[in-house]
Amino acid sequence: MSVINVIDRIFGSRYVLYLVLIIALIYPLIFPIGIPIQISSRTLAVYNYIQHLKPGCHVYMELYYEVAARGELEPNAIALIKQLFDKGCKIVFVSTMSTGPLIFSLLKSSAPDVFANKTYGVDYVFLGYVSGGEAAVASLAKSIKGTVTVDNYGNPVDKLSLLKEVDKATDFDLAIIVSSGTDTFNYYVRQWYTPYGTPLLFVALSVIAPSIEPFVSAKQAIGMLVGQRSAAEYELLVGRKGLGIASMDSQSLSHFVILIFIIVGNIVYWSKRLEAKKAKGGGR
Amino acid sequence: MVSWEIIGAWIAAFIVIWIYSFAFRDNVFYKLAEHIFVGTAAGYSIALAIDSLNRVAIKSLITQPTVSWHYIIPIILGMLMFFKYSRKYYWLARYGVAINVAVGAALAVRTIPMANIIRQIQAALTPLWGSDPIKLVNNWLMFLITVGGLTYFLFTIFPPKPAPGRTSAIYTLYRALYLIGIYGMMVGFGALFANTIVTRVGFVISIYLIYLQPYIIATIIGVILAAIGILIEVRRRSK
Repeated sequence: MSVINVIDRIFGSRYVLYLVLIIALIYPLIFPIGIPIQISSRTLAVYNYIQHLKPGCHVYMELYYEVAARGELEPNAIALIKQLFDKGCKIVFVSTMSTGPLIFSLLKSSAPDVFANKTYGVDYVFLGYVSGGEAAVASLAKSIKGTVTVDNYGNPVDKLSLLKEVDKATDFDLAIIVSSGTDTFNYYVRQWYTPYGTPLLFVALSVIAPSIEPFVSAKQAIGMLVGQRSAAEYELLVGRKGLGIASMDSQSLSHFVILIFIIVGNIVYWSKRLEAKKAKGGGR
Repeated sequence: MVSWEIIGAWIAAFIVIWIYSFAFRDNVFYKLAEHIFVGTAAGYSIALAIDSLNRVAIKSLITQPTVSWHYIIPIILGMLMFFKYSRKYYWLARYGVAINVAVGAALAVRTIPMANIIRQIQAALTPLWGSDPIKLVNNWLMFLITVGGLTYFLFTIFPPKPAPGRTSAIYTLYRALYLIGIYGMMVGFGALFANTIVTRVGFVISIYLIYLQPYIIATIIGVILAAIGILIEVRRRSK
């Protein structure tokens, strides 16, 4: 049996791949390697943009993701909220996804220190789940109080002091869209940026990034934070260690393993193809 | 002291392990976790949808009927959708769906030309000369891949293939752009695939950090149970 066949037998089994991948994932979490994290220019640009917002600014944050996507999106959201709260900005949270209320409560419980000195209704508000997809997004842009009468906890919106300061898209200095889907970004570009010119910031899963990159290139969004890598960089910038930094070693090592598998897979594939060609009597 | 939070965390750890055990083989614990997930997700979504309807419309209708009377229209339209289960009156469901689709389309169409077409074309028009060599290479790549991609999807007009032994400049240009389009798209799909891996790996890491590592005993018991489930499945299939 040739070396290529032996490699093919070992690496051809998905169990081997899973096992090696699990080891590569878990080992650095138990024994951190400490691979240095460099801050990219794109993350820095987002950080600087928020730093230049006026103190006490108003920010709108859409939380459109399910529990599975927490690990990639929540660290970014927490780091952004910390920076905004440190600047004295006020945030209106909303979700057009049914898991929104659960996601918001998980987000708050993951970062009690960030919300510690902030008063509900004054510094932040959670409107809860607003159904209706793009129509809901358009309606919220026109008037929050015209769309919802009570917040997630049943408080009338006209009794919340923060919502006396803001009501429509033009009242916000920034709208942050944290989403695990592509459509949400489209909705906000179409219903918030295009008609009202509200600056948008995207927080997306890595898999979504290529689909929404055209909006960032066309300057329809001020920037984009993507996955745990951006979260790690942002956590370093705002000075709060979280899930992003914790996962970086594991991310790097597991990607390295996947790269090795891809290279080995290609070598085996081409060698076997060459062997088959030779066996056929070709080999020109 | 065992609290509801601890019980919830243990169940979460069990379910995560059982769901991932499918990567090795289908088993009874995977099926159990799958059914629990589907049932819980469906129940939770229904409860939230009803709560949202109650918060947004029904409460307002009861407390401020003179202000919120118009909410009755979407409620009726929504209820009409349930007529699709009736053989006799199923056509009534179309009114709710039609208005829903019409409102969605109208809202989207008013800004799509600017948001998704004009601004994208503007962004694609990058300068092909300048002093920054890296930017220049990027702009040329962007230009060639955009034109190449469009050429690949040209299904109506083709330059005629020249006869054997003869050459055609237009055809050569067309083929070159066509190939650039193919390779550009392949690079794009490769990037998309790589990003998919990054996301999935990120999910696994975060699930481990949030649900498995803090409740290691539950994780170990979950793994043992999943292994038993896999063995049961293997035995069942071998019979």
